[in-house]
Amino acid sequence: MELSEHIKTANVEDVTLRRPFHPTLRGTLCVTSHHLLFSDRKDEASWQLLILLKNIDAIEKRAVGSSGTITIKCKDLLVLQLEIPGMEECLNIARSIEALSSLESVTEMYPFFYRPSHLTLHGPWGLSSTEQYYKQTERLWDRWRVSKVNSDYSVCPSYPSAVIVPREVDDDKLIRSARFRQGGRFPVLSYCHHRNGMVIMRSSQPLTGANKKRCKEDELLLQAVIDGSELGYIIDLRSAQQAQQTRMTGGGFESKSCYSHWKRIHRHHERGKVVQESLIKLVEACSDPSHSVDRWLSKLENSKWLSHVHSALSTAGLVVECVERDGHSVLVHGSEGTDNTLLVSSLAQLILDPASRTVTGFLCLLEREWIQAGHPFQQRCAHSAYSHARLKQECPSFLLLLDCVWQVWRQFPLALEFSEALLLRLAQEVYASNYGTFLCNSEQERCAAGVKETTHCLFQSLLKPDIEEQYLNPLYEPTDLAIWPAVHPQSLQLWTGMFLRWTEYAQNMEEAREEVWSIVKEHREQAGPDRTNNTLSTHCESLTPIENLMDELTIL
Amino acid sequence: MASAPIAPYNSSPLGNSSSPNASRESLKMEPLADVAMLPGEERVIDKDIIYICPFNAAVKGKVFITNYRLYFKNTDSETPVTLDVPLGVISRVEKMGGASSRGENSYGLEITCKDMRNLRFALKQEGHSRRDIFEIIFKYAFPLSHGMQLFAFLSQEKYEENGWNVYEAMEEYRRQGVPNSEWRITFINKIYELCDTYPTILVVPYKATDEDLKRVATFRSRCRIPVLSWFHKENHAVITRCSQPLVGMSGKRNKDDERYLDLIREANGTTKLTIYDARPNVNAVANKATGGGYEGDDAYQNAELVFLDIHNIHVMRESLKKLKDIVYPNVEESHWLSSLESTHWLEHIKLVLSGAIQVADKVSSGSSVVVHCSDGWDRTAQLTSLAMLMLDSYYRTLRGFQVLLEKEWISFGHKFASRIGHGDKNHADQDRSPIFVQFIDCVWQMTKQFPTAFEFNERLLVVILDHLYSCRFGTFLYNCESARESNNVRVKTVSLWSFVNSDTSLYINPFYTPESSRVLYPVASMRHLELWVTYYIRWNPRIQHQQQSPVEQRYKELLALRDQYLKKLEELQLSDSAPSSTHLTNSSTPNAATPNQHITHLQTPF
Repeated sequence: MELSEHIKTANVEDVTLRRPFHPTLRGTLCVTSHHLLFSDRKDEASWQLLILLKNIDAIEKRAVGSSGTITIKCKDLLVLQLEIPGMEECLNIARSIEALSSLESVTEMYPFFYRPSHLTLHGPWGLSSTEQYYKQTERLWDRWRVSKVNSDYSVCPSYPSAVIVPREVDDDKLIRSARFRQGGRFPVLSYCHHRNGMVIMRSSQPLTGANKKRCKEDELLLQAVIDGSELGYIIDLRSAQQAQQTRMTGGGFESKSCYSHWKRIHRHHERGKVVQESLIKLVEACSDPSHSVDRWLSKLENSKWLSHVHSALSTAGLVVECVERDGHSVLVHGSEGTDNTLLVSSLAQLILDPASRTVTGFLCLLEREWIQAGHPFQQRCAHSAYSHARLKQECPSFLLLLDCVWQVWRQFPLALEFSEALLLRLAQEVYASNYGTFLCNSEQERCAAGVKETTHCLFQSLLKPDIEEQYLNPLYEPTDLAIWPAVHPQSLQLWTGMFLRWTEYAQNMEEAREEVWSIVKEHREQAGPDRTNNTLSTHCESLTPIENLMDELTIL
Repeated sequence: MASAPIAPYNSSPLGNSSSPNASRESLKMEPLADVAMLPGEERVIDKDIIYICPFNAAVKGKVFITNYRLYFKNTDSETPVTLDVPLGVISRVEKMGGASSRGENSYGLEITCKDMRNLRFALKQEGHSRRDIFEIIFKYAFPLSHGMQLFAFLSQEKYEENGWNVYEAMEEYRRQGVPNSEWRITFINKIYELCDTYPTILVVPYKATDEDLKRVATFRSRCRIPVLSWFHKENHAVITRCSQPLVGMSGKRNKDDERYLDLIREANGTTKLTIYDARPNVNAVANKATGGGYEGDDAYQNAELVFLDIHNIHVMRESLKKLKDIVYPNVEESHWLSSLESTHWLEHIKLVLSGAIQVADKVSSGSSVVVHCSDGWDRTAQLTSLAMLMLDSYYRTLRGFQVLLEKEWISFGHKFASRIGHGDKNHADQDRSPIFVQFIDCVWQMTKQFPTAFEFNERLLVVILDHLYSCRFGTFLYNCESARESNNVRVKTVSLWSFVNSDTSLYINPFYTPESSRVLYPVASMRHLELWVTYYIRWNPRIQHQQQSPVEQRYKELLALRDQYLKKLEELQLSDSAPSSTHLTNSSTPNAATPNQHITHLQTPF
């Protein structure tokens, strides 16, 4: 079926459009295969792009006399209203939106048709790769290697073709270890700490099952990770009890007797549906139109969203504590190893590694730890907070990551090179995008769909100088220190920029941001070229001892 | 795995930049640890004591009591634990345990403070060891209850600027554009004859004679007649303030009062004067029983009355008390948000802010308003001063804010002495209430929502609140102008503004962008209000870290390091007899202020 066959009525005149912070407009509405367009009559020639259809999470129809009203609720939390004269037109438009906003086939999606004149499809796609990371990280060269065992995605369908593993473990052992891990996600290197060479590994759960199966190769692999040092930590993102229970369904955990040099710590994290429902409750509370004081804080608490933020940040802090303070390597996993595992490992890197706090570094981190590492974006982001569709595999893991990063940024306003605007942009792009970056569920699927050949890369486009500037933090001062966020409930805040973004408050904040920018720019101009010589940041290297003062996290 | 070491717990609420003239030589006792005493400060007693820190274990050390402060320093370990508490902060001192109490550290003192914390000390259980220190703290913390003077009258501090000159009523009214053809200045209250809780200089409608004022005064609670607070230069609308009318059970009317309000309305041709009664409707009605009340429709036909639903001083006191219960010593973590909600503190903040927004909005649309509550010195002051802060960018500067406080709060008789209980031992006094704290909280909420609109920073707000209690300065002493005058406060004490203005760089918001004509309307929805964690929970060492770590602390450390490097560089240059040109540039450039060094304050996320 051609996409255009979903469109019964392409144009409607005399439509009234209402959206927050804009005057009500009357004009012509138009549905195309991927977009909703609107033009007010003043300027017939130019269509204003309203939204990508994919951004629409839910619509509500209401008949008022002979005309109908469609309320459009977007995945980026924007809510629009269209008043359409003519019931039939209204229903046709609604039907088209419903069909076209929930396309299943990847290659029919807009990124495959997006061809702006300033971008070309030739040249390398993406910012980083496993090989590049390996090349950049000198500390790895001695004991680690890049394995191509998954080059045809047969060992682990959700891993990229290349992974970093201990040098002494050969590909055969990897294959055996993969058979022992859910979805084939055997332990691979995710980060090597620049200060002490300790590593963060990630995987999925071992398939020990009810009768406590073992896998020699898996044990050897982990043994090779710590290589003679006496201890490593396994951070299991499930409670001990949950981990026990999964044995009944074939899963399990690394027992002390088989992995004698690894100490297991359990931290309970909610997942999947529970987190998705939190988001729904949170957004419901935020978009309650009454300005009443009626139990807002209780609603916020009951959504449990902030408690997910708390868990993610505090477990990431725990990982950092193991690596940085105690000097031990860590393996992180939950069950599948595609959601909370990535959340925790990437947050830990943000806290530990100054390189991941630049715009480029952060995008590379997302690319390695989320996109290449096989977070199933298509499944997780099929719907956001408004949809009434039955939940399948939706889960806002990535939004939760962005929220956690925002909390870090709020507590360390100087430490990140990027600003809230970048996080908001990513939150929007992950649900609906012109770019191919967040398409599909794995590298394998992206390969099959030809994403790299036929779509543009979001991250590359974000890094174009004129675009990048709007995402820079004017106050950025790099620091080499670990930035430990405080995780107490009174230290965590609702991410108002995201969840209350369509209110006047957000506008005040935006204005303030612009003013700060101009002040900082003015100062820089005054300071002139000297700035490079005398920023205090050049002395940061010698500040390492005080990082030990930053011990808000008394986690253990 | 070792758990993180507990952070050293230090407490020094006040910027202790005492004058270097403090003569310490005269003291025979050992030097008072690391703290420089204020001129006029005298040692009273030292004592070995155990501080039962709620965040650490018990700490052995020594406590020093002066006529101004309680200072504690530990002696048992290298990590310093100090307390530096002005005695004025103390609300209550109690003995805990008895000579025969069992259990470790069960015999000692419990000190309740006005600034969201309590202190516990333990002493040796022998020979009435706590008697002398208990009596001394009791005496010096509550000097007025013992026929002694507040420390502000003993202090010998000297500053270049005289902060008492910050506010000159005439000058401020002239700045607003008053007097003019609609409003005149009257000296009828020169010797506080008309109203003993008002200032001497009042601004009233041009057409109202002094005789009119006297007659209106008979119909307003405590003679607090409607007078001008603020004048809108463009549309000539005004904010006026007063107390409730004395309507009483019988529904009395007063023609003079009715005519007087109409004069306010007429001054700029407002069609309907809006009277904002800060109270909830029911409270206003209930006040009739005690002779008060509100402006009825029949009597005031050209006015509309709006109730703003703000609760009274008792409700606010209980609310803050509940807040203290959930944040000190330990923060209620498991149900933080719903516990916070049950204190209703943010809800009260919301009501005050949204009341002020209504006032500001009405005035900027060109209509004059009258604001009152019962006596017109608590909620009224909150509403008028917040509305003025929204309307007039001058009050958002460091100077202007001082003027605002001097004018709307201090000169118009907010009863600081009664609300705070300076030097008074009656901790359970029903007159005490955190009305001013609540106002400062509202200001803080505004600075959070408009991070570039205020010239001053959060530190100023905290310093103001600290000295609200400290009794080091005369600024917040007494209930009204007349009492301050008869006690010679301006001559005998130092103003807080002398201290603040002696080093304004500490209080400047680096991101301030002056904008003269903009009215700031904060969003007063619960969703956009935050608990002022860095004030209310600042005694918690975890919050202290958070408060300091990101910006201020790091800059301080970096600056200190830079100084070290400079010193080293200098030494190197000295040892190198022929300094090359590169040395010279190196040594000079770090002195040039980089843009980032200006940015000393940033608790606000943007």
